[in-house]
Amino acid sequence: MGKMKDTFVTPLLKGNPITVLVLGICSSLAVTVELKGALVMALSVTIVTGLSSLVCSLLRNTIPNRVRIIIQLVVVSLMVILVDQFLKAFESTYAIDKSLSVYIGLIITNCIVMGRIEAFALGNKPFPSLVDGLASGMGYGAILLIVAFFRELLGSGTLFGYQVIPEALYNAGYVNNGLVILPPFALILLGCIIWVHRSLDKELQEK
Amino acid sequence: MNTNSNTYTVIYTTIVVVLVAAILAFVSQKLGPMQAANEKAETVSQILTAAGFGDKEHWAEIGNSATLEFYSDNIESSILVDINADQTGNLDNTQAQVYSTSQLKAQNYNIKNGTDIQVPVYQFKNKVVVFPVYGAGLWGPVWGYIAVADDFKTIVGAYFDHEGETPGLGGKIKDDPAFRAQFAGKVIDLSAEKPFSIVRGGAPEGAANAVDAITGATMTSKGLDAAINSWIGAYGKTLLQGQAASEFIKALEEAIQSETKAVEEE
Amino acid sequence: MEYISLFVKSIFVDNMIFAYFLGMCSYLAVSKNVKTANGLGIAVIGVLLITLPVNYLLNTYFLKPGAMAWIDPSFADVDLSFLSFIIFIAVIAAITQLVEMLVEKFAPSLYSSLGIYLPLIAVNCAILGGSLFMQQRDFVNIGQPVVYALGSGIGWYLAIVCLAAIREKMSYSNVPAGLKGTGITFITVGLMGLAFMIFMGITL
Repeated sequence: MGKMKDTFVTPLLKGNPITVLVLGICSSLAVTVELKGALVMALSVTIVTGLSSLVCSLLRNTIPNRVRIIIQLVVVSLMVILVDQFLKAFESTYAIDKSLSVYIGLIITNCIVMGRIEAFALGNKPFPSLVDGLASGMGYGAILLIVAFFRELLGSGTLFGYQVIPEALYNAGYVNNGLVILPPFALILLGCIIWVHRSLDKELQEK
Repeated sequence: MNTNSNTYTVIYTTIVVVLVAAILAFVSQKLGPMQAANEKAETVSQILTAAGFGDKEHWAEIGNSATLEFYSDNIESSILVDINADQTGNLDNTQAQVYSTSQLKAQNYNIKNGTDIQVPVYQFKNKVVVFPVYGAGLWGPVWGYIAVADDFKTIVGAYFDHEGETPGLGGKIKDDPAFRAQFAGKVIDLSAEKPFSIVRGGAPEGAANAVDAITGATMTSKGLDAAINSWIGAYGKTLLQGQAASEFIKALEEAIQSETKAVEEE
Repeated sequence: MEYISLFVKSIFVDNMIFAYFLGMCSYLAVSKNVKTANGLGIAVIGVLLITLPVNYLLNTYFLKPGAMAWIDPSFADVDLSFLSFIIFIAVIAAITQLVEMLVEKFAPSLYSSLGIYLPLIAVNCAILGGSLFMQQRDFVNIGQPVVYALGSGIGWYLAIVCLAAIREKMSYSNVPAGLKGTGITFITVGLMGLAFMIFMGITL
């Protein structure tokens, strides 16, 4: 049982996909301008990574090594597209799909999904693979939310779309920082998060 | 079993590909009509939002069929026009027939080539006229609807949508009401070199035919700007004719008024 | 002339890394030294150079609305563009697999130093981004996508070699312990990205 706990905790901290494994950077630059987008992306990636790892782990002994990348990608995109199609078909879920469809390309090409399949699911049993996939998605989501919190607060003065910086401050001469909205700032912010993370966990520091 | 032999690889890949293709084809066939109905209601609600009949949430609340019914009740005429403003066809108003996004895409292609243009004009009973625009953003298409008053010049509202623009940046063309609100009250200036502009860094003070671009979303703003101008180009003659007609009617009304005044004074 | 402007533009103005921030994962992870960066850069140029023209042909003759009219006029109404995403990805994955096998066979040391990042070219957003941008640009002949692929690939290659060179120098600098390695790299790339913004909006 202790081993299963390790499988779950490692991707959250010591093996965090973004800050330690450097996976899924493109999307973390794109969707962290506001918290809402970051949350949707975090949830979708968690689900997709978990399920894809599960399916690929079930198939792991049958997949021919030479075409494994194609098979993995086909499995991932099939699942993402299926979810999209079903959500689109019903009147009650159509609105959810409208706000989700923007992320579909980003989810399929998210290195975390492929990265965890390659590095974990192909060599492990289905259940640990599912746990690893879910935990990786959560570790990714946590960083996403931290970055989005700072970018939305400093860049737009809002959180989840609600104004939090009071009008009085703007009247006193405060302005939203336009630099924060640009992608390079997300990189600088990620650098700082890594700094904090590694200062707390000395084992991760590079020589 | 040797999973690395050529035969196994080929057979395995074939089976997976065929299986996936079959699943996708089956699902899209079964769900296709339901999706089409949702998409149509979505398009109609976007047109209605642009025309100012209510905000986007309102249509989601009242549901698909009520939205379509509202459209059928309030539409005056919806015709198809070509580049010379000649009417080439009609849309069925009782069925709330509108041009879908893929039809707009096809027309966008025609507008670029300058051939076979056949674009819709939706005129409502309250005299508001709505026409679509379509073009390329950063990641995929952007499109939208612009509503003008009966002078065919003053914009009364607009609604934009996109397929994959970055949320919080390019996605703001749809999500940020402040961006859309800028359009109301502006005019389409057909005599200018560029009838309408979305200006990066802020529109010049007092400019009647320009709005501010979205900070940090240069490509999306540029794409939307190009989409609006190329479609206004296709509607140029229709808009000019509409302007001339509305001016004529205005002049006529004024003439009648002064005439009656003169008669009364006598 | 048109080709030269497209070429220069795709290297600098539309740089995959600094203008669109695509393909970041492998960019950050495999830029520790110039030698490996060189290898991955060339692999990316290679994959782009093959996938873009292939996807261009698929798009022009099968996927675009009305593209199948050359087979039979009755196919003129068929629009398969909804399939473009999955087909582009499949093509990219197939080519990546091919490149992986070639590298493994002819450059085993490079293969082991690239590790997991070689198969990850398949999900390298720069490659898929290239195909999606190509679809939007409406290139008129096969020459343009080839030039565009070469330009974007070289842009990516330049960016990764630049970063690798900076990182090699940086290993002699006194960076705070927690920032060493990945952390300072992120910040460096952020600053490089800001610097590259001077190219934005240049028209050629």
